[in-house]
Amino acid sequence: MKNIYLIIILLLLNSKIIFSQDYYAYVAAESEDEVSLIKFDGVDGVELEKIPVGIWPAENEGPHGLTVDPNGKFWYLTLAHGNPYGTLFKFSTTTNKVVGKTLLGLFPASMQISETTGLLYCVNFNLHGDMKPSTVSVVDPETMTEIKQIQTGSMPHGSRISSDGLYHYSVAMMSDELFEIDAVSLKVTRVLKLSDNINLMNDKMDHSNMNHTKKTHTKVKPTWVIPHPSNNKLYVAANGSNEIIEVDVDSWKITEKFKTGKGPYNIEISPNGKLLVVTYKNDGSTAIWDIALKKELKVIKNKRNVSHGVAISSDSKYAFISVEGVGGEPGTVDIINLETLKLISSVNIGKQAGGIAFWKISH
Amino acid sequence: MKIIKPIILLFIITFSFELYSQESNRIVSTIQDLVLDVDESFVASSVTMDDNDNEVSCNNMIYYSRNREALNVDNETGEITANLPGFYTVVAICIQEGGNRLRKDFSVKVNYPPVNEIKISLINNVLYTDSYIPLTFEVIYEKGFIRNDVKFNLTSSNDLISIDNLNNVKAITSGKSTLTAEFEGITSSIVLNIKKNPVSYIELKSNSDEARTGDVFQFKAVAYDKKNVVIGDAPIKFSFTGKSFDKSNTASGLIEKDGRFVGDVAGQYIITSNVGNISASKIVNVIDRNIKRKFKSIGVGTVNDKHTSDFWVFEGVDGRDYAVSGTWGADGTTYFWDVTNPSNMIRIDSIQVDARTVNDVKVSEDGKICVISREGASNRKNGIIIIDVTNPYDVSIISEYTQNLTGGVHNVFIYENHVYALSNGEKYYVINIDDPKNPKEIGKFELGKPGQSIHDVWIEDGIAYSSNWRNGVYLVDVGNGIANGSPSNPVAFANYNYASGAHHATFPYKSKSTGKFYTVLGDEIFPNGIDVKGQNVTAGFLHFVDFTDLDNPVEVARYELPGDGSHNYWIEGDVLYVAMYTGGVRVVDLSGDLMGDLYKQGREIGYILSGSENAYVPNSTMSWGAQLYKGHVFYSDWNSGIGSAKLEPIKPDKTKASIN
Repeated sequence: MKNIYLIIILLLLNSKIIFSQDYYAYVAAESEDEVSLIKFDGVDGVELEKIPVGIWPAENEGPHGLTVDPNGKFWYLTLAHGNPYGTLFKFSTTTNKVVGKTLLGLFPASMQISETTGLLYCVNFNLHGDMKPSTVSVVDPETMTEIKQIQTGSMPHGSRISSDGLYHYSVAMMSDELFEIDAVSLKVTRVLKLSDNINLMNDKMDHSNMNHTKKTHTKVKPTWVIPHPSNNKLYVAANGSNEIIEVDVDSWKITEKFKTGKGPYNIEISPNGKLLVVTYKNDGSTAIWDIALKKELKVIKNKRNVSHGVAISSDSKYAFISVEGVGGEPGTVDIINLETLKLISSVNIGKQAGGIAFWKISH
Repeated sequence: MKIIKPIILLFIITFSFELYSQESNRIVSTIQDLVLDVDESFVASSVTMDDNDNEVSCNNMIYYSRNREALNVDNETGEITANLPGFYTVVAICIQEGGNRLRKDFSVKVNYPPVNEIKISLINNVLYTDSYIPLTFEVIYEKGFIRNDVKFNLTSSNDLISIDNLNNVKAITSGKSTLTAEFEGITSSIVLNIKKNPVSYIELKSNSDEARTGDVFQFKAVAYDKKNVVIGDAPIKFSFTGKSFDKSNTASGLIEKDGRFVGDVAGQYIITSNVGNISASKIVNVIDRNIKRKFKSIGVGTVNDKHTSDFWVFEGVDGRDYAVSGTWGADGTTYFWDVTNPSNMIRIDSIQVDARTVNDVKVSEDGKICVISREGASNRKNGIIIIDVTNPYDVSIISEYTQNLTGGVHNVFIYENHVYALSNGEKYYVINIDDPKNPKEIGKFELGKPGQSIHDVWIEDGIAYSSNWRNGVYLVDVGNGIANGSPSNPVAFANYNYASGAHHATFPYKSKSTGKFYTVLGDEIFPNGIDVKGQNVTAGFLHFVDFTDLDNPVEVARYELPGDGSHNYWIEGDVLYVAMYTGGVRVVDLSGDLMGDLYKQGREIGYILSGSENAYVPNSTMSWGAQLYKGHVFYSDWNSGIGSAKLEPIKPDKTKASIN
């Protein structure tokens, strides 16, 4: 009997080891040309590995967007600057070595793989020069072939795919537009003007070849869009007007606007659909919203200025926030407990932490 | 019993589902073994098949081509259009309900159009016996496609000529012979009029019997017939053999078809000219160039907490000498130095801007304005910063200019109150700084090609030398007048590119000793990427392009340091000062005609390794750039900061070798 008690005591003492979970995320350091692999054990985060990236070593190539494929075997990185086109790289999560690459458009940025089509959809931000319509690149990640460039608006930045994998949503920062792309037909199906709520197109029309974004409207400056995982709402970060704009997918209309802190930039919704986490870039803070209550629960000051990206663990417990910093400051990943709404750990990485993607939970 | 019934029922249902509801497992398409002609279209029809070979339609099929330019595929309809001949892959992906996907690759062949013509050309119409006949062949297809890489079936009408396995054709006997080339059933013929070699003897002369390595001999060969009459159009060829004076070395050199010869290694060389089997030879001696001089480090300006980038040395308005240096992958700092005493360079001021890399720095001709480039600004606006350096001990920012430069500025140049600033590695803008507080964009230059890219711009005499990677150098009139260009209307008037596509910098150079005009084009190559905190491997070399005839530039020489790659450089007085990254700062003699491999020719005068123990990366030379200024060679090193060095005076030349 004594032995049984002893075993129970030992088990309890070691419960942290037995039941602990490690969380992993990849973060790009845009001005360091490297990607960091972050491990978080529920208490502390550490930088497990620095992965140098790029083609032209003496140039600052700006790793910007990051995503992990649904099966967790590969991660993908966009290099913003090229010669002049940016590049999409495919890395193995086992070795963190490059296994494939392909050229995209100018300044490829955010991206995601559809679990349904298996294709990767990446916006070409084209941050520089004249304001003109840019594109969304569609890539087959298996062969790393760019299949098509679909014309959208001026400076398309944030983008995410619907939970059924059939629609891609992106926002054009300098033309105040929300685009919906059919992930199978690879055509723009709907466009919603966000600054004056004019529906530019009906469901059937293909305006992909129309140069309808010549005039720039920068009132709203949408920088991110994300569909809710289980209902028919989209949430847009209106970086210029300091709002989160709620769009009803069915009616294709703006249904609500929520005032936010300064410069809402990236948004992520917890996989359980309850919380919306948004970076306030100009405030250097991150806000957590309750989607059902439509209420900002808490604003958390980040460790550095210039809050950038958000990734949320698949169990909806933690948010990983990339914070750029300024000048020679390192970039930082702030880890927020979404149950206690507290910043619980910060990890310094290379300069200008930007693109961030959650990889896995390891038991 | 109550529980058994449902179990049996469930088993039956499950078994039935397995038996009768087979899922599709493969794609079958009419694309299989598809062969198209150029410009032909084909609409694919595809289905999926289950295990029992039953057709299952696929509602969501995506098609794509792995080479969109050559073979265009409509992603939705599967319409395939052939644009270029070749073999291509079309991928079909069926997206099934539930997220399952099937995919299959299909090979598609696009035929070359029918051959229209085989074109045989003679490079030289003078054909003598015992000579190889200079021929070129082209297959010209319908729709204009041209190939010159096919293996023709060559035949001759008689045995006056011979044809070897590589299709080289040699004239054997005088007379007329018809050469016929056949490919894919199309033939073409040319009549070769072979004359008996009339050459009785050749007289071969050179401008010297002895010269240094790297010096160019000019050979002149004249062919005569039996009556001692000159045969002016004789197709004279030149060749050489050689033997090094150093028994363990190999003689090498280069001879051109105009009879110019250069020896790389000291030795005895036999130059031969021939017409058919009539030849003449001449022996020349090549001796060591013997130009080594002591090149000594004089002083350093250490930067050991970050990487250093480019630098510029200038005379200040107070008559003293100053330098400015940028930093790389750091905190946006630019340093200012008093280098009046090159052995004691003093850091006197600095400026920090919102950037991670200040890659380039330049100072105006009057020493009043400094312009620095920005990359990695936290607001991603980048652009340039204009700085007042009238008092380098207390510099101040005059203005920031970011319009159209948000993609990052990698290099800049100041010329006659205009800043030429690269934008996002695509183009450069011309910005007037008459009022440096209010810079104004007045012009831009870009190639206008898809994928256009640029790395550097350098201006002399109103000509901007634009270094455009794979598109090579463009000479652009920005005020010279040669092409009616101006800063607001840059006009390109000449171009040269080369195969590696690694062209990152240009320095224009007019030879004092020959009057020839060259552009010196530098590569930048890191074969293994870069290690920011360790040792690196670099590659690439300098290409010397004779631009004396602007319409016909000719690449004539290279400076390639084995194992080390080129970066930035400076040329003055027929001497090259080049930062060869891991190879340090090298000083190279460019005097005389330039031909062949300048490093092999022993033209290197001296070098220093710019790494130091007290560096950001200790003991790791990474020389970034070099500039000759008031007799000193200043340089920057990526790992250690800036430095100065000096060549010792020229020793008396005891070789007594000369070319008349």
